[in-house]
Amino acid sequence: MIEVAASRPAPVLRTGSHGDSQLRQIWRAFSRNRLAVAAAVVIVLLYGLAVLAPSIAPQDYRAFNAGQPLKPPSAEHWFGTDRQTRDVFSRVLVASQVSLSVGLVSVLLITGIGVSLGALAGAAGGGVDEAIMRFIDIVLAIPQLFLLIAAAALFTPSLVTTMVVIGLTSWMSTARLVRGEFLRTRSLDFVLAARALGAPGHRIVLRHLLPSAVAVIIVQSTLWLSFAILLESTLSFLGLGPQPPTPSWGAMLADGRVDMQRAWWETVFPGMAIFITVLAFNLVGDGLRDALDPRQRSR
Amino acid sequence: MTPSNRRYLLRRLLLLVPLLVGLTIVVFALIHLAPGDPALAFVSEGSIDPQIVAQVRKNLGLDQPLPVQYVIWISHVARLDFGTAYTFNGTPVIELIEQRLPATLVLQTAALALSLAVSIPLGIVSAKKQYSAIDNTATAGAFLGLALPNFWIALMLQLLLAVSLGWLPASTPGTDETTGIARLKYLVLPVIVLALPTLAVFTRFVRSSMLEVIKQDYVTTARAKGLSEPTVTYRHALKNALIPMVTVVGTQLARLLGGAVVVEYIFAWPGLGSLAYESILKRDYPVVLALTLLTGAFILVVNMLVDVAYTLVDPRVSFR
Repeated sequence: MIEVAASRPAPVLRTGSHGDSQLRQIWRAFSRNRLAVAAAVVIVLLYGLAVLAPSIAPQDYRAFNAGQPLKPPSAEHWFGTDRQTRDVFSRVLVASQVSLSVGLVSVLLITGIGVSLGALAGAAGGGVDEAIMRFIDIVLAIPQLFLLIAAAALFTPSLVTTMVVIGLTSWMSTARLVRGEFLRTRSLDFVLAARALGAPGHRIVLRHLLPSAVAVIIVQSTLWLSFAILLESTLSFLGLGPQPPTPSWGAMLADGRVDMQRAWWETVFPGMAIFITVLAFNLVGDGLRDALDPRQRSR
Repeated sequence: MTPSNRRYLLRRLLLLVPLLVGLTIVVFALIHLAPGDPALAFVSEGSIDPQIVAQVRKNLGLDQPLPVQYVIWISHVARLDFGTAYTFNGTPVIELIEQRLPATLVLQTAALALSLAVSIPLGIVSAKKQYSAIDNTATAGAFLGLALPNFWIALMLQLLLAVSLGWLPASTPGTDETTGIARLKYLVLPVIVLALPTLAVFTRFVRSSMLEVIKQDYVTTARAKGLSEPTVTYRHALKNALIPMVTVVGTQLARLLGGAVVVEYIFAWPGLGSLAYESILKRDYPVVLALTLLTGAFILVVNMLVDVAYTLVDPRVSFR
């Protein structure tokens, strides 16, 4: 979307007061949803914490505290210590980097692939459309988690593998929605008018069809941020995500599971972190949908 | 049924063939293009003798070009012969699947039944009393249910119900406990964990579908005729509200089957999900291929049936 905006030849007058008021309308609708605004603040805080994590963490996430395995939460170790005597709070903080960056990169991939294929299917129609949609049917028939675990295990598990694998197995719903949006707008008067004026195909796609789909794309991307983080934590939990020493919430849960009976803090805190992050993205995504796309509104 | 609908159904049925063929190609390509040598799964870790590895590759047919391997594989698959597993003591794949299938079926059926049994009444009440305490709780619950990773719910339930309170077993039964009732309690936790996300989706769906139907003229008419509120809700509104549910149940099946991998792994449930996880880690290609293919085919067939059921149930739906 950014590229589309940048390629517009004469943007100054066009994006003046008119676009501004639309943005303000959207903001007004969004800000009425207090929960979504609160969740947006939480997300900003989470990213801030993730960026600053190495410097604000009370301890290095790899540091051992000799003789203090599985200590319950205290003033010294807010979230207690794990079996290897490391500070759980510091590890939860640093692990946020994994989840949040996997979320961002995967969603870039999901949006990139989904929008390209969806736009191609919607704009080209005919055999191309049919082929892409049937391919999506096939991929969607394989349970995603199945595909994800297989791909993550067959390629060497790592941070990059996790990002790529989630991206490659999650773009289908975005593609379907973008295609649907293209099909809907393709026959609307303003597009017919543009075509009648002799606008070339690529111009119709970039200037008319794609901008109409932006709302759907933004909402999908936000929601997929939350799904991608859930998927990443699942992979990490199964030992197929980023590998140690990189800490991730899912892997911490898998570790903590062994001592669950004696040390609840090892499984409760990383889980809460996943939960809060995913919930925040979900709420913002839902708020955005209501503000941007009243037709899709979830009651 | 109109002729156009009949034509649609026929086309939908025929479409299944290219979809299934496409599925076999996608699955085969995915697994064989990945790096990693399955032959290594055969030789003991200490003695990676290149000669032995080469011999193993030859015996497995892995030295053939991929298209040849595909044709050989597909001609066997067409006869439902999935070969023998590389690991698992070389058991025939179909036998492995037969052994594990019942456990998964029990789990899946129970989870689906639980989701439906809870979500339909809950969705109806939520819609009838929009923004009431029940509705708000259900909405909040659905949000939480979708934001909580199911493996974490599993751990927390184990921690609370099995470890702290000791009400339920944390894992699967040993072979000694075979009586029905004793086994039933092992089912509780896995079923709850597996059902939660699906339950959340269903509840949201029944609610919004009900809300849409309740506003329609024919419901107002039914009420104006003096029918009792329960009759209006259950006989008139609910029937139409549940029709689109067919589609949602269809799409959630894939999610339930995928969720089985994690849930069966956590609760050591001896089903297809844990078989999938084990065989993927062991790079046991024949098992992974068979499982992916069978689940994919199952879901394609279910989707087809859902589409067909939809045209049969809702006469308003018509296709070109």
